[in-house]
Amino acid sequence: MDFDDYNLDAENYDEMFLPDGVPREHSRLLHETLRKLSAEELGSIQERITRSFLNEGITFTVYGDEEADERIIPIDCLPRILSDAEWRKLEAGLTQRLGALNRFLEDIYNEARIIADGVIPVEMVRGCPQYRIEMRGFSASHGTWVAICGTDLVRTNDGFMVLEDNLRVPSGVSYMVANRKAVKASLRRLYRKTGVQEVEHYGRILLKTLRELAPRGNSDPCIALLTPGVYNSAFYEHLFLAREIGAELVEGRDLLVNNGFVYMRTTAGLRRVDVIYRRVDDDFLDPLVFRADSLLGVPGLLHAYKLGNVALVNSPGTGVADDKSVYAYVPDMIRYYLGEEPLLANVKTYICRRPKDLEYTLDNLENLVVKRVGESGGYGMLVGPHSTPEERETYAKQVRANPADFISQPVLALSRAPCLIEGRAEPRHVDLRPFVLHGCETRIVPGAFCRVALRRGSLVVNSSQGGGGKDLWVLAEDDQSSGQSE
Amino acid sequence: MLSRSAEGLYWMGRYFERAEHLCRLLRWQVEILVDRPIREIYFGWSRIYMSLNRQPPGGRLELLGSDDYTLADAYTLAGDLTFENSDSIWSCFALGRENARQMRHCISAEMWTCLNLAYLRLRKSSIPEIWKTAPESFYAATASEINTFSGVAEATMYRDEGWHFLQLGRFIERAQCSTALLLSQLAIAKLRDVSFDADWTSLLRVCQAYDAYNRNYSVDVQPRRVLDLLVTDPSLHNSLCCSLEAAAAELDAIGPGPQEHSSAAARRMAGRMSALIQNDWPDRDDHEALLEQVRQSGWELHDLVIAAYVNYAIEDSPAR
Repeated sequence: MDFDDYNLDAENYDEMFLPDGVPREHSRLLHETLRKLSAEELGSIQERITRSFLNEGITFTVYGDEEADERIIPIDCLPRILSDAEWRKLEAGLTQRLGALNRFLEDIYNEARIIADGVIPVEMVRGCPQYRIEMRGFSASHGTWVAICGTDLVRTNDGFMVLEDNLRVPSGVSYMVANRKAVKASLRRLYRKTGVQEVEHYGRILLKTLRELAPRGNSDPCIALLTPGVYNSAFYEHLFLAREIGAELVEGRDLLVNNGFVYMRTTAGLRRVDVIYRRVDDDFLDPLVFRADSLLGVPGLLHAYKLGNVALVNSPGTGVADDKSVYAYVPDMIRYYLGEEPLLANVKTYICRRPKDLEYTLDNLENLVVKRVGESGGYGMLVGPHSTPEERETYAKQVRANPADFISQPVLALSRAPCLIEGRAEPRHVDLRPFVLHGCETRIVPGAFCRVALRRGSLVVNSSQGGGGKDLWVLAEDDQSSGQSE
Repeated sequence: MLSRSAEGLYWMGRYFERAEHLCRLLRWQVEILVDRPIREIYFGWSRIYMSLNRQPPGGRLELLGSDDYTLADAYTLAGDLTFENSDSIWSCFALGRENARQMRHCISAEMWTCLNLAYLRLRKSSIPEIWKTAPESFYAATASEINTFSGVAEATMYRDEGWHFLQLGRFIERAQCSTALLLSQLAIAKLRDVSFDADWTSLLRVCQAYDAYNRNYSVDVQPRRVLDLLVTDPSLHNSLCCSLEAAAAELDAIGPGPQEHSSAAARRMAGRMSALIQNDWPDRDDHEALLEQVRQSGWELHDLVIAAYVNYAIEDSPAR
């Protein structure tokens, strides 16, 4: 495959090439290997990877699309590579960020010093729908409110930036492992020569983290993964994780609370559950406390959690810290709680509940990305440069009606990586979502779910909006490329 | 094991067994379309619908004198039994696969992949496609895929409670399908007043027992001998007595549930059914009544299993 027509532009950082078209040091071996493979050979590799996903039923569901149950995420066979040095910087930044976010959650549900000290306005916290008044006065075990975090990172010519923290029920980690398995099997010699750090031990690290959070230091806790059920878009991932950590995959109807303890219904009777890795949103977790009409949750679960008889991972109430408005204050949180400068930058964010920011947003809609603070998955978003005047007008009305529901950000020139599109290498925008785990200490598997906007020119990487995935290779140490090729 | 997982695996076993049973019935049925008399073809369809306790499309079957009508009807009936009705091969397979999807963490990765490949092939099939060439090869291939799945399960699945519930579902379903088929055979034969060798031969073929019969009794087909073989022969893997014994053994392996009396009742019921066939069958002439008793007991056994391990009362359950 040749890269003669590969379109480089100065505006977008390219993950494989320097601006002059020379492959970056860490991508040299990959580049050489790809050049020696014909379009047919690469097509066959791509086909094999897609087929393996289909055969193994590695699928997701798109909401609202009845025909789309069990759809596979399109996986591009060309890996994206990060050097060890790049990864170490990210790792440090992610560790720092999660540390501050956990401190923030412990603080706002207790003394709320950060509000009293005027670092973050009270309305940002208490006005956030994800702030759970029921958690006030609760102190999380080891201060760990968020044990599993998926942080969305993007790269521009200015470096890596955090786009979003996912602190409730982040998903995608199963694709990190599945992509690796599939791509590794198809590019075997290249993989071996490149010296890539493993990601397949994620399950072991997750289990270790969950065990650390067991009540009363129980070293052999009974762990269950709570899923909303087979119709949830991430059900495959729930199965995958339950299998990886050897946990029972339970639904709300399998659990009950008695005398403040949680039990699951087994063939031998009721068995006490110590740790619940929940993949059910706060709203549906406990019908006695949150949504009364929820059939997915367990009545009395929050009570059992607050008594310390069961660990809930992540804790209810963490959504306030990944609210798109609160996001803007994370660098201040880092400075406030840790006394450090943020190692990872935020994207400039205009909070529409502030009159000045609202005015700026409305005046510059065509140049901004406007997002609803409560939405995720790429839904409810306006990408200014790709919108029509009519769409902007309609959206502006919604923003004016409820400014507190919106934030805006400049359109980022996301980095691009080569993808195999119709037998040719074409650049597509990418991001990455590494998964940060924290029980008693922070652990990060050197890899991520790398998402790619497969539609030409699109900036939306969400799988529900036409996005796909890529394997991310983090090199074991710098300058692994030896000049040898496959 | 989580009760819901045990139930899912149990149903998975039942659905795949039912799908495989139907494949065998239909494979034979479409094979005889080529050269057998219309009467025999009519008998075959009647036996299938009666054993499933379902009405054919249009409400009833008619014995028509014309080959053209018979073959056109066959197309409709095969479509109904393969894809359309809620007991069709596709429905049973898809439901079994759905249970497997939800219980994927309880079965081996090899089992899932094997099943998913078969599902992807079946999903693309349609009755016009099947009918274009040799439809019997479709049913043979599907039965073979289900058998392969069972073999992969045998070779790769961890022998925990999940395995025993999967097997229990298979054996209870097998016993129920065999009983229903034998009852249909006897009922239709009785209606006719005349016994045709061909009808009993086809029963042997459907039950994969033709060779075993020949080895024991030569090619001289006698209804009583056919029934004895299918019901009581301990060497025939899918005879009724083997299925019931195997179900009882699986219940023993699963052991007591949270309420000892409830799981003991299920084990006793399985043992009684097995004893009924082994001890009473040789000396009784009212085989229909005896088989009906087994069928009723089979339904009760299912209810007892679910009550003992899945829907038990929480108040009586010990907490661990």
